[in-house]
Amino acid sequence: MGSFTLGKYLPLNSCIHKLDPRAKIIAMLIVLIAIFIPAGWLGYGLIALAVISLIFMAKLSLKFVIKAMKPMLFMMVFLLVINILVVKSGTIILSIGSFAIYTDAIIQTLYIVVRLVLMIMITTALTATTKPLDLTLGIEDLLKPFARFKVPSHEIAMLISIALRFIPDLIEETQRIMKAQTSRGVDLKEGKLKEKVMAILSLIVPLFVSAFQRAEDLANAMEARGYAPGATRTRYKVLKMERNDYILLVVSFVLCIALIILAIL
Amino acid sequence: MPIKFEKVSHIYSDGSPFTYTALKEIDLEIIEGKMTAIIGATGSGKSTLVQHLNALLLPTSGKVEVLDRIIASDEKPTKLKSLRKNVGLVFQFPEYQLFEETIIKDVAFGPKNFEFSEEEAIAKAKKALAMVDIDPSYYDKSPLDLSGGQKRRVAIAGILAMDPKVIVLDEPTAGLDPQGAKAIMELFKKLNKEYNKTIIIVSHDMEHVFNYCDDVVVLDHGNVRCHLSVDQFFKDSNWCEQLHIIPPFIIQAKELLKNRGIEITKDIKTVDELAEEIAKKVIK
Ligand SMILES: Nc1ncnc2c1ncn2[C@@H]1O[C@H](COP(=O)(O)OP(=O)(O)OP(=O)(O)O)[C@@H](O)[C@H]1O
Ligand SMILES: [Mg+2]
Repeated sequence: MGSFTLGKYLPLNSCIHKLDPRAKIIAMLIVLIAIFIPAGWLGYGLIALAVISLIFMAKLSLKFVIKAMKPMLFMMVFLLVINILVVKSGTIILSIGSFAIYTDAIIQTLYIVVRLVLMIMITTALTATTKPLDLTLGIEDLLKPFARFKVPSHEIAMLISIALRFIPDLIEETQRIMKAQTSRGVDLKEGKLKEKVMAILSLIVPLFVSAFQRAEDLANAMEARGYAPGATRTRYKVLKMERNDYILLVVSFVLCIALIILAIL
Repeated sequence: MPIKFEKVSHIYSDGSPFTYTALKEIDLEIIEGKMTAIIGATGSGKSTLVQHLNALLLPTSGKVEVLDRIIASDEKPTKLKSLRKNVGLVFQFPEYQLFEETIIKDVAFGPKNFEFSEEEAIAKAKKALAMVDIDPSYYDKSPLDLSGGQKRRVAIAGILAMDPKVIVLDEPTAGLDPQGAKAIMELFKKLNKEYNKTIIIVSHDMEHVFNYCDDVVVLDHGNVRCHLSVDQFFKDSNWCEQLHIIPPFIIQAKELLKNRGIEITKDIKTVDELAEEIAKKVIK
């Protein structure tokens, strides 16, 4: 679990960490849109430059960001295989008997991979520099305007923050139960199928029991402190946009416009 | 064959910003057949230390020697099953590991994993449940329907049923009522004395350490501060003072008596013995 870095918050001290989460979320959305503008390699180069300098400013190590991509590796290989099998245009670069690999297959895969990599980099830059709770505060604020369409922005934010809040706990709990059952001779790696099923059962049952227990405890604790969904409440942390936040928004907006111009030219 | 730690360090999340050194080059030798207490403030590394005993955690550097097995930092150990059978580890709050439909099945789960037949496993489970005072009428109930203390006892039985040579307990009495805690400690003492089991017990309760254990190991920020016999440890009142420990009742009483001019030098454990000693002094 220690090597799983996708979506993990890194408590560092950088100017990016201090930005308003709302600005970061909007900037991320703008850049995500920009990634989907077909502006050729020059466009991707521009975005990559922006994203890498952002990561640099956030004091994140490239190693950390690359690690976050590990879970996607399988998907990328899968894409490559599908493309090689399906795409039959461009020139042939390799042929084995009746089977041939075309240049377009490689180029298309590369396009998708570059987009994926950029998307992961930008989302990692967001999650690694923003505390989960700030993130949900930001989401809540950004959803506020939709309240008139009956979007329960506060409840959605509360759901997300509770879910995020419990991820580390559940990981820890899983590890603890795993250790406890390992002490009782459970072997998750070896063994016959029946033993493996039993091993997984010995993990999942206690995990569910404790998750429900926690949910109940939390609900009780929230109720005991007078929580009622939909009630108006003040906030401990009030978000405030500052100069740097506007700079971030302007930069990402300009980037997006530049890509649109590149795409049209 | 003692249990030996040689320059054992353990670093959590090595190489990440969350890295934390929980054990710092620990040297320790725990003597077989004794009942050893491991004490220390929260976060001093007690749980980390005991999880090295059955290779749930591997040393980041150094080596651990347990029952003829050497677990070193530089090799990935394999075939750990026999080690895990012989070193039974009961976790802090073990009640969360119960999962079977019935209590008896849950306790038999360990022995079954260690290649005992169904009947043998059930027989061992019954024996273990009797040891922890769970009435046979409970055997077919769901472990989830028990009270906290009963769950704890069932979970301990789950380890005892494996019949390990070394029993390691991480705060087994936390959250139990005093009567239940005493019964459990007496059970461990009995396993130690009559069945010659090596017992290693993490505890915050000085009365338990004083009354039941032979040796005491003090951990402090990942270092071994001292490793003494229980009698020696409590005789030297400096230790308790330095470590901010409230000494056991008998030791406090001895101290108070000493201040009033009645000095008792003999090592005693119970109130009756204390009364006898006082009587001797006073009548003289
Ligand atoms: N999985 C982990 N990842 C990172 N750090 C950890 C992990 N487990 C424990 N630690 C840290 O290692 C230190 C020692 O923890 P350990 O659980 O061994 O303490 P302890 O002496 O058992 O405390 P307690 O009396 O509260 O049970 C603590 O400071 C803890 O924060
Ligand atoms: Mg502990």
